[in-house]
Amino acid sequence: MHRRGGLLGGALSVVTLVTLAAAPLHAAGFSIFEQGSKATGMAGAFTAQADDPSLLFYNAGGLAFVEKTGVSGGFTWIRSTKADFQGAAPFPGPNYSAKQETLSEFPPHLYWVQPLTASWKFGLGIETPFGLTTSWENPNQFAGRFLSTKASLQAFDINPTLGWQVTPTFGIGVGGIVRVSKVELNRHIAAINPFTLMAADVGNLNLTSDYTKNSYGFNVGILHRWNESFSWGLSYRSKISVDYDGSARVTQISSGNPTFDAIVGTQIPFGKKLPVETSIDYPDQASLGLAFALTRDLLLETDFNYTGWSSFKSVPINFTGGPGESLPDTSLPQDWKNSYSYRAGLRWTTSPASQWRFGLVYDKTPQPEEGVSPLLPDADRTGYCIGYGRTTGFKYDIGLMYLDFKKRTKNEFRASEGPFLGTYKTQAVLLGVTLNY
Amino acid sequence: MHCSKLKAGALALALLMVGGAAFAQVNTGAANFATYVALGDSLTAGYSNGSINERFQRNSYPALIYRQATGKTTGFEQPLVSAPGLPGALRLTGLFPTMISPTPGAGQPLNLNLQRPYNNLAVPGASLHDLLTKTHSTSPTDPTDLVLRGLGGGTTQLQQALLLKPTFVTLWIGNNDALAAATSGVAIEGVTLTPAAQFDTEYRAVVNAITVTGGVKQLAVANIPDVTSIPFVTTIPRFLVNPRTNQLVRDPGGNPIPLIGPDGPLQAGDFVLLTASAELGAGRGIPVAFGGSGVPLSNNAVLSAAEAAVIKTHVDAYNATIRTVANEKGAAFVDANAVLRNIATSGLRIGGISYSSAFLTGGIFGYDGVHPTPLGYAYVANLFIDAINANYGGDIPEVDLYPFVFGPLPSATAAISTGKASSGDFTQYVFTPEARRNLLLSLSVPQWIVDGTKAPRKPRHPRG
Repeated sequence: MHRRGGLLGGALSVVTLVTLAAAPLHAAGFSIFEQGSKATGMAGAFTAQADDPSLLFYNAGGLAFVEKTGVSGGFTWIRSTKADFQGAAPFPGPNYSAKQETLSEFPPHLYWVQPLTASWKFGLGIETPFGLTTSWENPNQFAGRFLSTKASLQAFDINPTLGWQVTPTFGIGVGGIVRVSKVELNRHIAAINPFTLMAADVGNLNLTSDYTKNSYGFNVGILHRWNESFSWGLSYRSKISVDYDGSARVTQISSGNPTFDAIVGTQIPFGKKLPVETSIDYPDQASLGLAFALTRDLLLETDFNYTGWSSFKSVPINFTGGPGESLPDTSLPQDWKNSYSYRAGLRWTTSPASQWRFGLVYDKTPQPEEGVSPLLPDADRTGYCIGYGRTTGFKYDIGLMYLDFKKRTKNEFRASEGPFLGTYKTQAVLLGVTLNY
Repeated sequence: MHCSKLKAGALALALLMVGGAAFAQVNTGAANFATYVALGDSLTAGYSNGSINERFQRNSYPALIYRQATGKTTGFEQPLVSAPGLPGALRLTGLFPTMISPTPGAGQPLNLNLQRPYNNLAVPGASLHDLLTKTHSTSPTDPTDLVLRGLGGGTTQLQQALLLKPTFVTLWIGNNDALAAATSGVAIEGVTLTPAAQFDTEYRAVVNAITVTGGVKQLAVANIPDVTSIPFVTTIPRFLVNPRTNQLVRDPGGNPIPLIGPDGPLQAGDFVLLTASAELGAGRGIPVAFGGSGVPLSNNAVLSAAEAAVIKTHVDAYNATIRTVANEKGAAFVDANAVLRNIATSGLRIGGISYSSAFLTGGIFGYDGVHPTPLGYAYVANLFIDAINANYGGDIPEVDLYPFVFGPLPSATAAISTGKASSGDFTQYVFTPEARRNLLLSLSVPQWIVDGTKAPRKPRHPRG
């Protein structure tokens, strides 16, 4: 136990280090399915293979088959190549366009697997299964600044797992998940300037949560290596509700009219630290994978993923401070739907030391049209992948994914936000690098 | 990042290459905007902040509909008046105390010599009856002559509209048939309120003149909002408010203190009109025990629950007529009543910005407490466009609200005050006497009420 605690401590400090880089928006809503470069090369179609330490994320059932100690770690470099918005009438209108800042983020993954006995195995994973960053250029002029200027969300899972090889071909894995997470939201606050009867920026609201510590879940997986040429796997990661404590701060923006500024100053507690609470119900995820050996060197896997995004109903923002230390409570409605993705991966073993991998993923957005907003503009997406792995000597995997988001046009809106209509277009490149020991 | 340079360049190039043809592709469906004529009152004229003013007229809802439906900015003629308007537009000159006064000076008509009737024939202050009968101004402040100009030896709004042989007509009339009763706090059938039967007869007469006599098959109409949706009526609470804290004053039992109206303490459903602010400032309507004079508010300053109910009954009847006639004629229909009631109840959000029906701080209504701001008018234009598209199967683009939200508007002139923000009083809206008189006259309040003279014996609109 002592040793495990030490490792957990080490893992936590890794988490602390890597959290300095925010994790971005990609893969169905804000789930990040790229948690190992081998799998990334095959578009995440890995549930029925689960044959490297990233099995801790993709299918804990694979842990049962681990025969020697393995350590594996890396990151996925996510870089947006395009994140544009083109407005539509009535607001912000067809003459308006905007861009997001170019993203360059590095969500990490780190795995350790260890046989305990011939049939019992232990593993510890650190994953970044959820993340989001949206950051609009020129936030002080951005027409959607009263909805969001910058939002980020980071979630790290610490995932100790036990594997049991039931028969030589059938394995089960069960793990616990500790989710460490943080959110940040930024937007401007508007008020009507009575001297112009028009909206004016009066404040900049920043809301930052502390890291959560007490959010738990579990995962289970089974892997059945039926025979030389067929295997199947089933993996499930549970829903986790995360409650955040944090603080909000509103910085006053001068309208240039001291009278108006003074009135606004009596209504909003500028410059104070306002205690705030929020929560996010993260979805559960399930994957079914089927892998077929087409020839001795070629393996094809097809996966079907389900993500229970209907858990993501709203983000309540409750101010818990007393008079003068709070703002009106609000809630950001989401009302997402459960979503599905389809993945196919091809593994081509070109020599005992090297593999080439190819993959294709189609991922349906869980976000209803009226919920599309500058805070989180999601879309259906198609990913095209290629990967390479060196499996002897200095062992590494590289996976490259080009992710093309379908144009997302928003014509429907919620009365609570009002129109912010237009079309979002996003493209990104993901490069996963994982080193294996 | 409002339209990148590159994009603007490309757009300009595209326009250069295809000329006006780029815009001619607006799909208006079965609607034909070759000759569009707007009939109505101040709301249709683009009247705002108590003034007829080019700045607001250029963004009147008919001008916006025309621009969206045709892609053209010329060809829709209006009786434009230069800044500061006629009378000078109301502006906020201070918040401590709140002071609203007309911009000094008077604007000049800019389009008086047009050799044909205007496309926007709306006359501020016009009632339904006026549309059928009125040819000339009846007082120095009456803008009828500015719009109708005695063309053809004296013709009505309706006659001038038909002279233009329109292909499309919008009609939003009847607001003044009920509004004067609200803004004057005097609801007298036949004087400040048009009898429902007369409204029905005359509304059908107007629409038949357009569709039968004029042969215009394409029409969009709007109904009449509740007077209780406008800040002129809803702003001042019926209870005493401490101007320093903006909180209700309460007696030792914790009960709020009703203001004193002409019939005693104000009851639930009674409204204190915006124009009561001067009386309240002088202590009227406030019990002696709470520092007031104990003198009741004047009848003109209060709209009693009974009066409001009478007005509502009339407006409901007018709207039944409008809805029925719209259905009979297959006209596009805008439910302005429902929209304004909804905004009064729930506000309006655009891109995360909250607008409301609040006076001064709502962004929808201007300084007169009755007429919309340019943003409010643009919103109305989009209601019409949506209704026209739905009715005639077109795809006319909605008005781009960006400039109405973020500016700049044409020739923006904002009065900036630098009053001290000490122990301010944000609830006493003081109209200067001149502003109050202009305002009430512009709201069709009969002069005898405005000036406190004796009521005339005869109703203004004799029946039949």
